[in-house]
Amino acid sequence: MAEMTTNRIPLTAPPTQAALADRAPVVREGVTLEALPEGTILHLLARPTQVAAPFADKVAAAGLDLRVVAPGQWFATAPTVMSGADLVVLSQALKPEVDVVDQSHGRVGIVLHGPLAARVLAKGTAVDLDPSAFPVGRSATTLVGHIAAHLTRVNAERFEIVVQRGFAGSLFDDLSQMSLEFARL
Amino acid sequence: MASLITCPHCGARPKEEFTVKSAALPRPSADAGEAVWFDHVYLRDNPRGAYEEYWHHTSGCRRWLVVSRNTATHEVADARDASEARP
Ligand SMILES: [Zn+2]
Repeated sequence: MAEMTTNRIPLTAPPTQAALADRAPVVREGVTLEALPEGTILHLLARPTQVAAPFADKVAAAGLDLRVVAPGQWFATAPTVMSGADLVVLSQALKPEVDVVDQSHGRVGIVLHGPLAARVLAKGTAVDLDPSAFPVGRSATTLVGHIAAHLTRVNAERFEIVVQRGFAGSLFDDLSQMSLEFARL
Repeated sequence: MASLITCPHCGARPKEEFTVKSAALPRPSADAGEAVWFDHVYLRDNPRGAYEEYWHHTSGCRRWLVVSRNTATHEVADARDASEARP
């Protein structure tokens, strides 16, 4: 029997069109909603007792932002596309601690930014977004409306949302509607 | 309504993020016999008061929890990761 490869290198061509290619930025008074460029989203998986400390530097050195998903799970994201070769190198470097699954085509990023970003997002999630409970750098896996999503506060007024590709359009439209009360007249 | 469950990993979250499995009961041994297994799988006491159940944080960390709640008051006393709370 042929030996099976253990590295999950993308086997298919990239999607021909970005999931949110037809969604223009939504600019409201005090909050803006935009699709993020489809760069790199890696799902890191380990035993639930694994901590980030032993491999966090390796992720940062590869130019990726490390975000907590769940016990033993993280996303490592970057706004640019990572080459297959670089992905193999990183996967092997992380192998002692975590397994890497490339989700760059499976998940899509959306950003909500501006002084009213938290006001809009709070309509859809039960996560307490007050800066004392959800400071910069904090992430949460939660529901936004009925859609499973992953939130990260990247700065005081900027939330990045990672969502499964097939739900991206619906979530974008939901967030657009949630921000309607701040529409420019 | 037991509307907020404090997940040990995620904090307080609404029940809509969870899936309830069933009562958290000690598992019979594999050779315990049909009657014991039938009881374990199908028969529930439905008590008024303290109750322990398996809850899955489906739309959050996706960990199985053991949630202790009161079926009369809906007060949630405790929620632990199931790996640390085997009955
Ligand atoms: Zn949780």
